[in-house]
Amino acid sequence: MDDKKTNENKDLPIDRRRFLMGSMGLAGGTLASQIGFADDSAFLPPNSPPWTRSLGPGVLTNPYGRPSSFEDHVQRRSVDWLTADRIASISFTPLADLKGIVTPSGLVFERYHAGVPDIDPTKHRLMIHGMVERPIILTMDDLMRFPSTSEIRFLECPANGGMEWRGAQMEGVQFSHGMLACCEWTGVMLSTLLEEVGVDKKASWILAEGADGSHMSRSIPMDKALDDAMIVYAQNGEMLRPEQGYPVRLINPGWEGNTCVKWLRRLEIGDKPWHHREETSKYTDLLADGTSREFTYVQECNSVVTSPSPEKPWQRKGKYWVEGLAWSGNGRVRHVDVSFDGGVNWREARFSSVVLPKSLTRFGVEFDWDGSPQMIQSRAVDETGYVQPTYTQLRAARGTNSVYHKNAIHTWKVNADGSVSNVQIT
Amino acid sequence: MCKLLSVPLLFGLIACGVAYAAEPGHYDYGHAATVEEIAGWDIDVRPDGMGLPEGSGSVEDGEWLYEEKCAECHGSFGEAIGRYPALAGGEGSLTEDRPHRTVGSYWPYASTLWDYIHRAMPYTQPESLSDDEVYAITAYVLYLNELVEDDFVLNRHTFADVVLPNQGSFVSDNRPDTNNRRCMRNCKNPGTIRITSMVDAPQKTRGDVVAPEHDGAATYRQACALCHDDGIGGAPTIGDSADWLNRSDRSLEMMTENAINGFQGESGIMPPKGGFLGLTNEAVRSAVEYMLEQGQ
Ligand code: HEC
Ligand code: HEC
Repeated sequence: MDDKKTNENKDLPIDRRRFLMGSMGLAGGTLASQIGFADDSAFLPPNSPPWTRSLGPGVLTNPYGRPSSFEDHVQRRSVDWLTADRIASISFTPLADLKGIVTPSGLVFERYHAGVPDIDPTKHRLMIHGMVERPIILTMDDLMRFPSTSEIRFLECPANGGMEWRGAQMEGVQFSHGMLACCEWTGVMLSTLLEEVGVDKKASWILAEGADGSHMSRSIPMDKALDDAMIVYAQNGEMLRPEQGYPVRLINPGWEGNTCVKWLRRLEIGDKPWHHREETSKYTDLLADGTSREFTYVQECNSVVTSPSPEKPWQRKGKYWVEGLAWSGNGRVRHVDVSFDGGVNWREARFSSVVLPKSLTRFGVEFDWDGSPQMIQSRAVDETGYVQPTYTQLRAARGTNSVYHKNAIHTWKVNADGSVSNVQIT
Repeated sequence: MCKLLSVPLLFGLIACGVAYAAEPGHYDYGHAATVEEIAGWDIDVRPDGMGLPEGSGSVEDGEWLYEEKCAECHGSFGEAIGRYPALAGGEGSLTEDRPHRTVGSYWPYASTLWDYIHRAMPYTQPESLSDDEVYAITAYVLYLNELVEDDFVLNRHTFADVVLPNQGSFVSDNRPDTNNRRCMRNCKNPGTIRITSMVDAPQKTRGDVVAPEHDGAATYRQACALCHDDGIGGAPTIGDSADWLNRSDRSLEMMTENAINGFQGESGIMPPKGGFLGLTNEAVRSAVEYMLEQGQ
């Protein structure tokens, strides 16, 4: 609605248009639409708006609360040309509108291969068998009796950004980087379950399988399972959302989201990987010489500026808090540097959130905009010393057909009118 | 049992009570899985043949099964219909500018094909194929890729004879494979910076708001469009009044009943609820209403 209004106003002199856009960015949709041509002064000091002079609805109007209706535009979105239909498909997290490091459960990107199963938790079972002493079947109640752990960890589809190997293609940060989320996950350490069933010493791999129609399956090395893998049933303080695997899923912190099998029904312990479709046909990285890397589990260090971004343009000269997100599947983010001149000079940003391993980390840096075009980049360094690569370096190592694991330094071009374009530069 | 973890910055926290079971069975929750229970769910197959059941299927049998159950999406020659994946072709294309990854050109193992068809296909009716049917269809997809002859019969034993051409081309993960430096000043010559690709700034900075999907149109898009949009498998095409006029002797009730329970008509098979058994009857009904509205 607001946008239509803005577009209708295309004929206005540039300053007026800029003003409308500005109010939109700063104060949210309502004000923008109310500003329009109407006079807002009735709402503003020294006057009082109507909500200050009346009563609102009482408790339990929404027994399960929802965001303000003025935040309706903050939604997951998808790109229809990516997949044949919406059942085996993906939607993206609206990164530009998020704050802090935790992604609200309803905005976590979706990725399904057979849609979302509607699982009755009392009829769901987790079977653990194979090279174990005690094959068992657990109910959800059983699972929730084990000692529980909560960790904040990012979740990223390895295809995040994969549409841009050959060049800039996506209109905003929701689509260029939005197969990404970060939640507090609660559940049982997988190692606890493995100790409970008594794993054979010769076992080295685990097959995780979902209860959805695709029976999603991935092979997980035992080392990861014993290190930090979790069998989780809750997310951000409540039971998992159906889209995220209700009632139980695997989380392999820092690893490909695809390995974090949702609607988990079965763990089979074995001594070899299974080489299933999702680790051969898909989720393997084709290199320029025709060979392909397999079992490329880790999501390497990456970062992106979320404001400014195509969704968060600038309006007028002056000071801005430039911010974004950084993460690494290999541990903590140690530094994030920001460049305004396309990578010639860099300034170290400051962390504006807690810095946790394998978690989103928020950074920011102040910038005084003189109204001239800028090429904004961010470059993250993780605690292993790994420095996020440039496109040139990544393509030199892998070519352009890898699809997955594209973590190159990203560039936003801020144009003189404050709008922001997705670009790739030399 | 408590240890002090020191996290950089201001955070020092005490991690406590993560108990480790000393012995298998320490908690003794749940029940011991029986052989029958495991057999029902243990569907996975490995490249060494582990998990392959008894049974067999020929290319010949596979041909009509494939035509009936798979061709509508993947094409009679595995060439793909619309945006559904192709199952054949692309040999020698992996080093080309636009590689074409299929079972024949890319997949390393035939076991993966058996396993995947068995666990996930046909798309709208997973777990509907018998083991013999999976053997036959797998043999036929291999045949479409010119990997076996037309008289080939696939079973646990002949399985080992099938080696896919790309098997030797997979290598292990050797990342990190880049070595960027953390340079802070004068890291490159500003004069050499060029824009190599660009997407114009969006016209509007907020995307369209999508209504929540609860109505007939939404159910249709979610569960019915994949066949009824383009008349796949003989489904009456939405909006094509001729297609629907043929059925005008049936009431909304009859059609809804057919859509809920599934039926075999003259033009093809309508699976129960389109294969989305989680849909309520009401949702299917509203989708049928929506489809009929579009037909007029
Ligand atoms: C209604 C459409 C439809 C039908 C019918 C169908 N498929 Fe599929 N098939 C799909 C879709 C969609 C995918 C991709 C699913 C995904 O990515 O999760 C797929 C994926 C596949 C793949 C993996 C392709 C790859 O390169 O990774 C194979 C193999 C396959 N199908 C075989 C079959 C066989 C055999 C049948 C018949 C028994 C069949 N399909 C019937 C839609 C269909
Ligand atoms: C896998 C493909 C497929 C899907 C998915 C599918 N249909 Fe169908 N549908 C068919 C076919 C094929 C026919 C035609 C059968 C015939 O008349 O031979 C059909 C026929 C119908 C008819 C006509 C019934 C009649 O009595 O003539 C209705 C109504 C219908 N479908 C509704 C739905 C609805 C609602 C959905 C989603 C919930 C759906 N279909 C999903 C394949 C499909």
